Order: sequence, then C-alpha cells, then structure tokens
Amino acid sequence: MTIKTLTASVALAALMTGSALAQDEPIRIGVLTPISGTYAGIGQQVSWGLDMAAEEINAAGGIMGRQIELIYEDSEANPSVAVQKAEKLMTSEDVDFLTGTVNSGATLAVGQVAERAGKLIATTVSFSDAITGDKCSPNVFRVNARAGQQSAALAAWMKQEKSGAKVFYLGPDYEMGRSTVAAFKSNAEAVGAESTGEVYAPLDAKDYSQYFGRIRASNPEVLYTSVAGNDTVRLLTQMQDFGIRDGLTILGASGTVTSQNIKAIGAAAEGFITGVGYSTLIDTPENKTFVEAFNERNGADPDLYGADSYGLLFAYKKAVETAGGTGTDEVRAALEGLEWDTPQGTKTIRAGDHQAIQPMYVVQIKDGAFTIANRIDGEAAIGPDTCERF
Amino acid sequence: MRDRLDISMRANHVFFAVLMGIGLICVALAVAMNDTFYLRLGTEALILGGLALSVDILLGFGGLLSLGQALYFGIGAYVSALVLREVPSFWLAMAAATGVTLLAGIIGGLIANRVRGVYFALITFGMAQVVAKVVYNTRELGASDGLIGVPVLEIPLGVITVSAGDPLAFFLLTLSVLTILYAAVAYLFTTPFGRVVIALKANEKRVPFLGYNTWGPRMVCYVVAALVAGITGALYPMLRGFVSPELMFFASSGNAVIMVVLGGVGTLIGALYGAVLLTFLKSVVGSYTEHHLIAIGVIFIFAILFMPKGIIGVAKPSLERRLIRFDEQTDAARIKATGERA
Repeated sequence: MTIKTLTASVALAALMTGSALAQDEPIRIGVLTPISGTYAGIGQQVSWGLDMAAEEINAAGGIMGRQIELIYEDSEANPSVAVQKAEKLMTSEDVDFLTGTVNSGATLAVGQVAERAGKLIATTVSFSDAITGDKCSPNVFRVNARAGQQSAALAAWMKQEKSGAKVFYLGPDYEMGRSTVAAFKSNAEAVGAESTGEVYAPLDAKDYSQYFGRIRASNPEVLYTSVAGNDTVRLLTQMQDFGIRDGLTILGASGTVTSQNIKAIGAAAEGFITGVGYSTLIDTPENKTFVEAFNERNGADPDLYGADSYGLLFAYKKAVETAGGTGTDEVRAALEGLEWDTPQGTKTIRAGDHQAIQPMYVVQIKDGAFTIANRIDGEAAIGPDTCERF
Repeated sequence: MRDRLDISMRANHVFFAVLMGIGLICVALAVAMNDTFYLRLGTEALILGGLALSVDILLGFGGLLSLGQALYFGIGAYVSALVLREVPSFWLAMAAATGVTLLAGIIGGLIANRVRGVYFALITFGMAQVVAKVVYNTRELGASDGLIGVPVLEIPLGVITVSAGDPLAFFLLTLSVLTILYAAVAYLFTTPFGRVVIALKANEKRVPFLGYNTWGPRMVCYVVAALVAGITGALYPMLRGFVSPELMFFASSGNAVIMVVLGGVGTLIGALYGAVLLTFLKSVVGSYTEHHLIAIGVIFIFAILFMPKGIIGVAKPSLERRLIRFDEQTDAARIKATGERA
C-alpha cells in the first residue's frame, strides 16, 4: 500500500466518522415567538404545541434517528426584534428550520431574512393573506388557515344554507377591519349573495345604535361583522335590546366571539356563526387523543395556534425523511405538495404558494357554547393561488 | 478660568475615541472569528444610537424631553425604504430621507415648541402616535405588515463601492455616518448658537434679557435633532431590508430615552454607549431568560439610583480634572519655554 492510498483511506475514514457525527447531532429548530408582550398568550400555545410534538417525535426515535432540539427566542411581537433574533438563530445558532412568528409583519420580515440566509421558515399563526399571496416567498410556508380561508368557509356555508341572501357588513374602522370585510364581501358575492350596505364603527365604540337605522332600512337576512373583544359584547347586546337581532343570521370573523367574551354577551351570542381551522370539538379519534394529551401536559385546552404548531413538526419530520436530510432545497421540494395527518384532519401544502390546504369548520353558538355546524372541504375554502414569485 | 463647555466636549471626544477603539477591536475579533450576527447587531446598535443621540440633543442640551423622537427615525426609515424599493440608490435615499425629515421636523417643531415641560413631552408623544397609527392603517405604506423587499444595496463611495450585505463594510459605513453626525452636533454646540441653546436649558426667562431670541435657537435645536434621527433612520432599512410601523411606536422612543439616561444625559457620546449597552444586553439576556424585560428593568433602576449621570457621568469628572491639569501643565511648560508671564 502506498502512502498516497493510505492517506486517502485515512481521509475517507475521517470523512465517514464526520458524517456519522452529523447523523447523531440533533436537528435544531428555532422558535421565534412572543414570550412577552401583547401576544404572549398566543406564544404560550405555540410553545406548548411545539414542545409536545417534539417530545412525541423524540420519544419515537426522532427524525431519521436525530433528536429535535427547540431553541427559543422572544420576538416581543415586534418585527424589528424578530428580525434581529432570526438572524441570531440562523447565523449564530445555525438552526435548520425556524417557526413561531405570530404577527404577520414579523413573519414577512423574518421570511425575507430566511430568503437571504438560505433557510426555511413556517408560520403556524399569521393570518395575513399576503404571506402566501402577493408577498409570498420561496422560503416561507404556512400551515395554518389564512384569513381568506375563514371567509371562504363562511361563504361556502352561505351557499349551502343562505343562497342568494341579502348581506350587510359592519366592521371596525381600521385597516385590518376593512380588509376582512372586503375579503368576506368578495367571497360572499362570488357565491351569489347580494350586498346591501356596509358601515365601519370606530374601535372601542360605545354606542352602535346609530347604525341600526341603516341595517333595518336595508333589511338584510345576514349580518357579517369583524369587530372583536368588548366591541362584540356591546354590538350584540345592543342589537338584542333594540330588537334588531331577531330573524337575522350573524356571521363573524374567528376573533369576534371567543371564550373570553362569550359569557359577557350571554344570550345575544346565540346562533352566531364563524369559520375556523381548528376546534377542540372536531369529532375524530385523533383529535380526542390530542386534546386529552394536550390538556394533561399543559393544563389547558389547545386552541388553533396550539394545534397548528403541533401539526407543523410532523410535516417537517415527513419532509426531512422524504428529502433524506435537512438541506434547504431538498426540504423545500419535499414540503411542496406534502400531505400529512394532523388532529385537524389531513393537510396538504400547495406547491404554488406554500399555503396549507385544510378542512375548515363552521362553528355555531348553541346554548352558550360552540358547536360544529358544518365541515367545509379544504379545496372549497382555499381560494386561488395568487403567488407569482415562484 | 477655563471654558467648562470646551473641557466637557473634549472629555466627550476622548470617550468617543475610546468607543471607537473598543468598536474596532470588537470588529477585528468578529472578523477573525468569522461572525456576522454580532457585527450586524453592532451596526443596529449604532443606528439606534443615532436615535438616542437625537434624544440627547433635545434632553441634554435643550432641556426638552421628547417621548416621540422615533417619529423622525421612522420617517427617515420609511422614506428610505420607499425610495430604495423603486430606485436602489444610497445617495438618493439619504437625500430624500434628509429632505423629508427636515420638512417634518419644521412642522413638528412649530407644533411642539409652543409648549414647555411636561406638555412638550406629551405633544411629542402624541404626534408620534398619530403618525404611527396613520402608517399602521395605510395600505400604500404596508399598513400593519410594514414594507419588505428593500434590496441589498451597492453603495458607491467615490473610489470604492461597498455592499450593504457585507456586514463589515456596512458597519464601517454606519460608524462613519455616526462619527460625522456626532462631530457636527458637537461642533454646533460649541458655537455661540449652541451656547444660547444651553442657556435656554439653564434659564429660559433670562435669555431674552441678554438680548437673544429664544424661539429661533430652540426651533433649530429641534430640527437638528429630527435630522439626526431621520438620517440614521434611513440606514435602518438598508441593514434589515424592511420597515414596520413599530419603529415609530412608543417602545422605540422610550428605549431611546432609556439609552440616553443609561449612557449619561447631556454628553452626546453617552447616547451611543447607552445604545450599544442596551442593544447587546437585550440580545444576550433575551436568549437566556424569558424574563429579560425584568432583568433590564432592574438594571435600569440600579443605574438611575447609583449612576444618576449615567456611565459617562461616572468617569467624566476625573477625566475633566485630568484634562484641566494637562492644560495647566502644557501652559506652564509653554510659559517656561518662551519666558512669557501668565
């Protein structure tokens, strides 16, 4: 054996141990989520969901034998902080994947960082249609339902139950309020609804009775609203008091009536309908097990953020296994078109815009509690692919 | 009798030189260790230092507490981002940002300078909130999502061209911009105009009796502060590639005030020390504990209790004494050499 071949074989052996080491190293996933500030409650659900999924995957042998390691950073729900922390996770910590961003501004800005750093991110919370629409990025995925899917689900329900109905819109007077109304309006008109008018009330309005005249005059069968929090309490109770609530079907955004304000609204909330991507009430064995395990581990029920975050790691696991590694291009290719099972049902990532297609649920308040009124197929609620960048 | 302002400014310059030295050593280390994150964090600290510098111009020299200085930082950042998305030209973006903040500073100054004290603080806070909310709700400005897609710039600087994507080059560029701003502001305050501004802080009612107009200097002081914030704000989207309405929110303005108080009010350079310290603390502590805001709050309280004049305030008196002694010695030596009498 010559010296040359000896060196070559030594080098080869070194290379093999090197790659064997890489095989044993954990897969590092950055979680950039608000731990402090306004959205800390959402961040809590995100981390519960991710922690639980990571524990389950690790207990079952990890991803291709590699354990998952989650590295947390606080985004403070501020895009400038999020971008700085994302850079830290991607360059200093060298994470393989990043998730957890909550507000849409942070997701968009971090997506751009990911694109420049050649890494992949996924959001499990952000609603803004732009993330997988006109501001889509080849490095950004979304596994939760976007705003458009909620209104599409409601519109699909209207087509079945209230075809051709006259609709009135009442939104809070700020950009998000106006854009949610506009999104629902176009969806509703697409299924044949007749729009009879729209008004915008200031945030935190005390008196909604000034709008009731217009509502009564246009004589709608359906009222759509995207007000939230205490505004919903005042709107619905005042409508009840003025007798304008009778015979009117009220549809709303998913944040309009929540577990926080449902008690304060009381009987006025009866019959309220909204579209959601997840509910603990989904009647499948997978979801029952999930809710039980989640409750046992965290002492609280999962909400849509917890459930979507839980599901994400299983998508990533499947993608890495298909790709045979954590390389950005390989995992991206594997995620595009990926179909995987979650407590919410089977989700599929649309290759054209990286948006998850998932079944949507129409929930209605009956006797002071949410019940599932209908299930809308993912394909019916997804809407067109408007991403033109890839 | 020696000129105290002159001694004070020279002490500030020494601290600036020290910061420069530390900065360049850290940069050398970062380059040697092939780091990019800390280099870019340092760049961000300097940019935020510009905002803090702007607060110190008002607070430390004009005696005006602004709780909305992020307004001009944000205007500079948004104008720069809007220009860069259309035309990726460094000089055009800087010129546009300077022009618009100049205009905004004059308008804001006309409003804010009608009142003093706590009302000034409230009105500056209010103006920043109003503009931030308008941006937050304007689709054309990206609304709550902000604006992404600011390209990675190639910046022509006469003989060489640097890329904003190169952490080292952009750090040095930012450092140069900050040095120019610091030098310009420091020079401004040693001119007779600057002394009138300082006199305004000491006793505004007496200044007219000395024959000086008070409105003009205060107005110029406000506009200069706005310009400093706007110019450094214009660098932000070049570093991070995006802008968002949060840049104008109270959190940004409040952080800038904390930086100034931490570094030392009325020292100019203290603002930069405070910015660097706070930015790195937030980044490092934030990675270790989710209760980082508590940790930083406690540090801030202790700093105010035990270092009421900030970091610079701790070391400055002894440095000033040294400078005076040094002056006296050189004077004495000169007298001895030339034989002239004092």
